[in-house]
Amino acid sequence: MSEPRMVTLAEVHPGQELGEVVFGPLTRDDIKRYADASGDHNPIHQDEDYARATGAPTVFAMGMLPAGYLAHALSDWFGGPQHLRRYKVRFTTRVWPGDELACTGRIESVDGNVVRVSLAAARRGPGPEGLSLPAEELAIAGEAEIEVPEGGPVPFAGTPADVVERRIGGDDAARR
Amino acid sequence: MAESVRFEVPVTAEEVRAFARAVGEDNPVLYDDLAARHSGLPGIVAPPTFTMTQVKAMPPGERERALGIEVDYGRILHGEQEFVYRRLPVAGETLSAEMRVVKDETKQGRRGGTMRVITFETVFTDAGGDEVLTAYATMIETGKDPGA
Repeated sequence: MSEPRMVTLAEVHPGQELGEVVFGPLTRDDIKRYADASGDHNPIHQDEDYARATGAPTVFAMGMLPAGYLAHALSDWFGGPQHLRRYKVRFTTRVWPGDELACTGRIESVDGNVVRVSLAAARRGPGPEGLSLPAEELAIAGEAEIEVPEGGPVPFAGTPADVVERRIGGDDAARR
Repeated sequence: MAESVRFEVPVTAEEVRAFARAVGEDNPVLYDDLAARHSGLPGIVAPPTFTMTQVKAMPPGERERALGIEVDYGRILHGEQEFVYRRLPVAGETLSAEMRVVKDETKQGRRGGTMRVITFETVFTDAGGDEVLTAYATMIETGKDPGA
């Protein structure tokens, strides 16, 4: 990842883009790891037969997994999760195994030391067999408020050209 | 019908780390006590969406029974999720949670069926009784297909 560029609050202005962080491609192991960590054991996310019986071509991620990745990207843009004051997500489509998740954000307003941002997470990929999905579509629309430290610098990722590739897989997790 | 249901959500360092790994986090304030203290935090903090682990204490099904509502889990989707933070949970504490239904509306769907929107509010407080964060989970119960 490129090092966050430190800026002052005065340099933060509406319309600024926060960059792009790409997670994935998502694996069934990622889904299982999130199920175990969160306690969300709905079989629709892990049991192929169960998922098919509901009419889905295969299993898909629980919405809070990509929403967790998006919160991770947001936290990194602002120097850590501890500055978050509000985080809201709306789920617009399912995220499938094999999908990448591209997270972007944009400054909407600055009020004192509270920065309000809009967020988007797009799924990218061919999608499962049996569905004709667009190669990229919005999976999560979000918004957040961050209270940046009074007088302190604001770390943030910088330009829209910054792309951070992270593979969230078993090997990565095992290394920790 | 119960107005609200109360339960406890323990925040252990082990669960915080497992959750952080599951969302690909590498920020040391989520893993390492010393790193967290260096950042001015009282200890390892939980990722922003960590309190989703509340389903371990109050699983879907049980929460509806406790709150006296009926939901068909075969037709339910997670529509929205919101968190309002005073601070993040800190590893080692146990949060007290109080959950209630703050919205339960049935609307006319676009294709002639109905759509029910249910919002569960959970307020998490610490041992001193101070609010830590509030979570709002909005579930959509899609209507039975009117043509079926």
